[in-house]
Amino acid sequence: MRGIELKKLGGLMMALLWLLPAGYAQERTINGRVTDQQGQPLEGVTVTVQNEGGQTVSDDNGSYRITASKGNVLVFSLIGMASQEIAIGDRTTIDITLIAASETLDEVAVTAFGIKREERSLGYTAQAVTAEQLTVNQQPNVVNALQGKAAGIQIRNTGGAPGQGAKIQIRGINSLDPDRDNSPLFVIDGVIMDNSTSTQGESASIRGMSNRAVDINPNDIESMNILRGGAATALYGLRGSNGVVVITTKQGNAGDIRINYQGAVGIDEVNKFPKLQDVYTQGWNNIYDTNEFWPAFGPTVEEARAIDPTHPARLYNYLEDAYETGYQFKNTLSASGGSDRITFYSSLSQFKQQGIMPFTDFKNIQARLNTKVNVSDKFTISTNMNVANSGGDRGNAGRYNEQLAYWVPRWDVTHYQKEDGTMYMGFPGLSTNPIYVAKTNRFFDDVLRFIGNASLNYNPYEWLGFTYTFGVDTYRDNRQGTALGFRGLEDEIIVEDNGGEGATGRGFYNVYDTKYRTFNSTFLVNLSHQFTTDFGGSLRLGNELYDRSIYRSATEGWDLSVWNWFNLGNANQLDVATSREEYRLMGTFADLTLNFKDYLYLNATLRNDITSSLLKPNNSFYYPSASISYVMSDHLQLPAAISHARLRLSYAQIGKDALPYATSLGYTSYSALPTGITGFTRGALLGNPDLRPEFTNTFEAGLVLNMFDSRLRFDGNYYRSDSRDQILSAPISTTTGFSTASINVGDMRNAGIEITLGGTPVRNANFTWDTEFNFSANRNKVLSISGDRTDQIPVASEFGYLSSTVEMRVIPGKSYGTLYGRTYRRYYTAEEIAAGVDKSLELDEGRPLLIGDNGFPILAPAADVKQLGSVFPKWIGGWYNNFRYKDLTVSMLIDGQFGQSYYNQMDNFLAAFGMAEYTLNRNDHIVFEGVLADGSPNTQQVWLGQGYDEVTDRNYGNGYYRDYYRGNSEFFVQKASWVKLRSVSVNYKLPSSWFGTRFIKNASVGLTGNNLLVITDYNGYDPENSTTNSSSNAEGFAGMTYPALRSYLFTLNVGF
Amino acid sequence: MIMNITAKKLTKSIAAGLLSSVLVFQGCGDYFDVGNNPNLVTEPSLNSLMASVTHRAGMNAYRYGNAVANYVQYIASPSQGSSSDIYEITNLSTTWSQAYYGMSDAHDMIVGAEESGADLHAGIGKLLTAYQLSLVADSWGTAPYTEAFNKVETFSPVYDSPEQLYASIGQLIDEAIAALNSTDATMPLDPALDVIHGGDVGAWIKTAYGLKARHLNKISKKSSYDPQAVLTALDNAYMSANDDMTMGVFSGNNPWAQIALDNLGALLGGWLSTNLVNHLNGETYGVIDPRVGKITDLTVNNDYVGTPNGGGNQGPLANTVHDQCYISTNCPLTSEVSPIYIMTYAELKFVEAEAALRAGLRSRAYVAYLAGIQATMNLLEVASGDAQNYIEEPSVSVGELGLTLNHIFKEKYVATYLNFEAWNDARRHDYGYQGFQMPEGAVLPTFIRRIAIPATEIVNNSANIPEQESLDTPLWWDMP
Repeated sequence: MRGIELKKLGGLMMALLWLLPAGYAQERTINGRVTDQQGQPLEGVTVTVQNEGGQTVSDDNGSYRITASKGNVLVFSLIGMASQEIAIGDRTTIDITLIAASETLDEVAVTAFGIKREERSLGYTAQAVTAEQLTVNQQPNVVNALQGKAAGIQIRNTGGAPGQGAKIQIRGINSLDPDRDNSPLFVIDGVIMDNSTSTQGESASIRGMSNRAVDINPNDIESMNILRGGAATALYGLRGSNGVVVITTKQGNAGDIRINYQGAVGIDEVNKFPKLQDVYTQGWNNIYDTNEFWPAFGPTVEEARAIDPTHPARLYNYLEDAYETGYQFKNTLSASGGSDRITFYSSLSQFKQQGIMPFTDFKNIQARLNTKVNVSDKFTISTNMNVANSGGDRGNAGRYNEQLAYWVPRWDVTHYQKEDGTMYMGFPGLSTNPIYVAKTNRFFDDVLRFIGNASLNYNPYEWLGFTYTFGVDTYRDNRQGTALGFRGLEDEIIVEDNGGEGATGRGFYNVYDTKYRTFNSTFLVNLSHQFTTDFGGSLRLGNELYDRSIYRSATEGWDLSVWNWFNLGNANQLDVATSREEYRLMGTFADLTLNFKDYLYLNATLRNDITSSLLKPNNSFYYPSASISYVMSDHLQLPAAISHARLRLSYAQIGKDALPYATSLGYTSYSALPTGITGFTRGALLGNPDLRPEFTNTFEAGLVLNMFDSRLRFDGNYYRSDSRDQILSAPISTTTGFSTASINVGDMRNAGIEITLGGTPVRNANFTWDTEFNFSANRNKVLSISGDRTDQIPVASEFGYLSSTVEMRVIPGKSYGTLYGRTYRRYYTAEEIAAGVDKSLELDEGRPLLIGDNGFPILAPAADVKQLGSVFPKWIGGWYNNFRYKDLTVSMLIDGQFGQSYYNQMDNFLAAFGMAEYTLNRNDHIVFEGVLADGSPNTQQVWLGQGYDEVTDRNYGNGYYRDYYRGNSEFFVQKASWVKLRSVSVNYKLPSSWFGTRFIKNASVGLTGNNLLVITDYNGYDPENSTTNSSSNAEGFAGMTYPALRSYLFTLNVGF
Repeated sequence: MIMNITAKKLTKSIAAGLLSSVLVFQGCGDYFDVGNNPNLVTEPSLNSLMASVTHRAGMNAYRYGNAVANYVQYIASPSQGSSSDIYEITNLSTTWSQAYYGMSDAHDMIVGAEESGADLHAGIGKLLTAYQLSLVADSWGTAPYTEAFNKVETFSPVYDSPEQLYASIGQLIDEAIAALNSTDATMPLDPALDVIHGGDVGAWIKTAYGLKARHLNKISKKSSYDPQAVLTALDNAYMSANDDMTMGVFSGNNPWAQIALDNLGALLGGWLSTNLVNHLNGETYGVIDPRVGKITDLTVNNDYVGTPNGGGNQGPLANTVHDQCYISTNCPLTSEVSPIYIMTYAELKFVEAEAALRAGLRSRAYVAYLAGIQATMNLLEVASGDAQNYIEEPSVSVGELGLTLNHIFKEKYVATYLNFEAWNDARRHDYGYQGFQMPEGAVLPTFIRRIAIPATEIVNNSANIPEQESLDTPLWWDMP
């Protein structure tokens, strides 16, 4: 089916290509000289033949020489100078004067609704990421591609699975409600685009499902603009309350048809493993025991081999064995061109990645057609269409790692099946083989998506314009879960993962479908007038409608009659469910801009929203914004070194509605009854018809400074936003008969700074070095969670042995997301205990440990948990470098996130089973540093081992690691700051003389290494990973994740 | 084609279209009126609530039975030092919440039934509220009731005292009996949707009296204990095993059978405790009880061996080798198609024996005691000859004068296999079963008496939760 659809589309595109006027290729050599306004020659100016790829650089006399055709356009660019485009026409000599960027008036930024405004007029930040920056490290997911490249954005790659989702947040968490999306709004060519991560389906939430931005090909993107603050996003209203990412895709230019091919192949490997011990083998109490499950509390390998000659000479490193080398490849073919009347850009791409975890992959086929028709000088029609088919085989990395952690390292985990295809078990009682489960317990998704829009633009007069855009974003997401059933063969082992209720191991076939559709209509009227030479203004009036409909169905069938036939008719038990969701929102807004003498700009907006998720009269509300831009350098006499200086100030209020149906109350179907008996039970949410919109007030101030002819560029912001009366689905006592309630409660503040520092330390004919550093720090504070309930919200928790379970909670006075867990008790004096000092939730790490009479630290009661860390980074930064030497370009990106703590569940398990490398000290005698209950220092020597110890003449039970260490969450909530060499990419443009024919116009080859180095104290897999999916706000968990990738890619780029 | 149309014409038509579309959206107020959740039913029928209410009560009988099966040492964990074996604090949030979800649905059914005069529905709702509230009260002592189920608009209901809960349960049962005896109920029960008694009102009334007897008998340590009242209630309760309160409708298997099946598939669980197995295999009493072969299966060594609580797998073989006894799908109480037994004729016979003995009615006590044993034999499908042989053992047929509470509790312990009521008995009997041992590695100095406050309440109702007492502190009714 989908093959045919894509073929059709491809055919359509090819037909369009040939309908357009063919180019007229008359090559000639163009000469010229580039100078600045003072007439001084400019060296190092890049001269490019637009869309052609031909390129040269001006020499120290400012002279250049390039081959181009009559219809071509030359682009002259130099850092710090405004680039210029010159049509060649009949000329063979083109001299040109470049103007310093800061002095130009036409530096344009893309703002809300794709409105292009002079950058200097903006009272807020709209940081752009260019196509080149975006694609430099070949990331298939647009969100990953942004990483480290813009200030104020936190991106977290949830893991290395093919197609795995990535989280994105701008200026931190905005909503207290753990169920609400905190990621920004994505708008592509004026259409709101879904970037949710659907976790529909059994275990899908831990199978690394994609965030839906994966359906956009980064190679199609011309630019991405990040709108961070309230004033920048004001026109988007409540949908933009988490910031907005405005994506503009590539457009064609009049002239020859350009065809470009880009290919990339790469290999992937695990970038970081937890360290395992390789000395102790299977057993308990240091006694070798091949019948028991205990992986590594036995004797040393040598001792075991003396008893059991079949014991391998070395223990298997089951982590390294269980992950393979992955590979990926991507092909993109694009064509663009057009005439005066019609221009187009079209592309077709295919991506496939085979994961490092066995039986995981992801495929993505994307096609795009953008066209623009100039009906007349005043009227244009443009359409953009994107079709994508994506999906793959999603592995359950959490379960995989858990089963690996149980694995006995004297057995080879890769020997996972018998000849008949059923699971192999080295001895009865060995843990279930994870690779066998990965092979037989699968989950697939298959998404077919269309995003398209038609936009009409009519400008009858210079002062009046109309724009209407109608967009559609629709997809169907079909998912299937399959597990092979029990066959009843002799000695066959039941695999518990592969079954359903009442039918352990007897197979299942689950089918899930989502139909998603949004309509997005926007109508804008632009009015502008220059009242006097010094004073002008413009007014925009707009209406926006957003209409979303989601329908989901799930059919789970289990207990298969034929063990390997995945058909719902083959399932003896069925469970079905359907749900639908409608959401509608209309915004009406006005946007007034006034400018005075081109150095002072004032912008004010007002928006009204009518939403379906609140009930009358609370469903309609207004909120304003205002901003000022003051270009000091054009008003005041500043030191010569400062070429441009600008101040920004803005204030905005943003309203926000509830999640759909937060106002509803009713009964849901009671699913524990078998088919044939229908019962209803209270819904889990206590809906509240009186919910009101919540409001956030944001304030932002910024400064832009360009110095030394723009070779040093600074852009800094300070912002603060306060949200009041947030709408929450708050957990409440289940004795009410509900587990959550919708309430207006809770205040939160975000404040922070963002700094972008750019420079061009070296710029000459052969060598240019551009560098850009971005830095941001967000401070979040939960001001209050008041109301008729306790002051905390549990968000998520992950199990830890001996009650060392770690929970992420939201509590007032702290930043969003604090991890709680069990600790060793600390010493407090009797007076301190009487004063209740020891009851504090904060862990006083400076205090000595309290040591028990037995010489060991004491685990605090399980209910007496303490705060062990905060889950959001204190600051994040990125450093991008670009070196250009003649035709060789080297780019390097370093980024880091600092100050966050994550729970490492994998380490908890590896400690519990004696496999963590540090458990090698298990047979040591030590004296724990700390004090006894009477305050005197501990001097008692104890043994860390299991059972009886001759030296101290005592029985130590299960030993230190099992009785103490694994129960202390302090060891497993780890500092997860990291710095990464995110990418290094080398690109070489092949000399045009190599191409004998004129068929190939330009070509380049490149090598890219991604995630080459990570520096961190975190002792698990890569700390950037997350066990929670990319739509989850549960940030603090990075234990049993799909390991991150280190990738090496080769790319080839050919232009025809 | 597009090019042929003049720009002007196009503009006009577009402008008109846009304007009208905007007006339509603005003018049509209904357009935004999609805020009601289409996935929820606002007025479910009383019978469809009945299906959930009866099913939830049955599942809670299983959940609570399972929660305390290690405490009464029916079950022991295959791993050494497992928290429920050794009396560590465990988090029974789900168990707690499930009782409240069950009672909340019952509450809504009662409210709807009382509005429409559907007395039978109101009666069953009250009775099952009483049953589940007693599960909660007997586990935690204090718990929300007067402000629970959203009866009162609060997110954090206050806790009622144990005495208050006890009184509320008694009142609910009495109200249930009155409602079930109504002669003018406006709506009959739907036999298919009453998954406990299949719409049999008479059976419900007997169940109500049975629960009342349990309720009155629970305060045997109190001076206010009235054995005669217990006996009076029993006179109206079960007459035979046909009256048993069971719930046998599952999506999948009987949950106990599922534990047994999972255990066979190496997801270990449902291992029988040494205490239970020794109780039956002659180890403790010197008499082999024929019920042992019905409750569980022979091991690979052709014997019946249990697992000590806290001790885990005893080896020397791997824990997947069947050398210790497990919950069995061959047992009539725990097969795939067995119902969950919530309250049985057999159990009530022992209640009768106990109350009669405490009232000094030795003759009635002894008859009830023997009938209870026979009923348990029947329940477990023991062959009549084997049953007869066992009953005739001198240590069993002790005679009217020889009968003590110990005998009754000893036999009732078998009758309440896997039922939560066993824990009430164990505490009332001060764990005074012959051979009953403290678990290995117990973290309490003495037997467990209560369950720790669930984590969900610690977090979401911290203003109202009581101070956590040590888990060996007796509940209100567990002391004089």
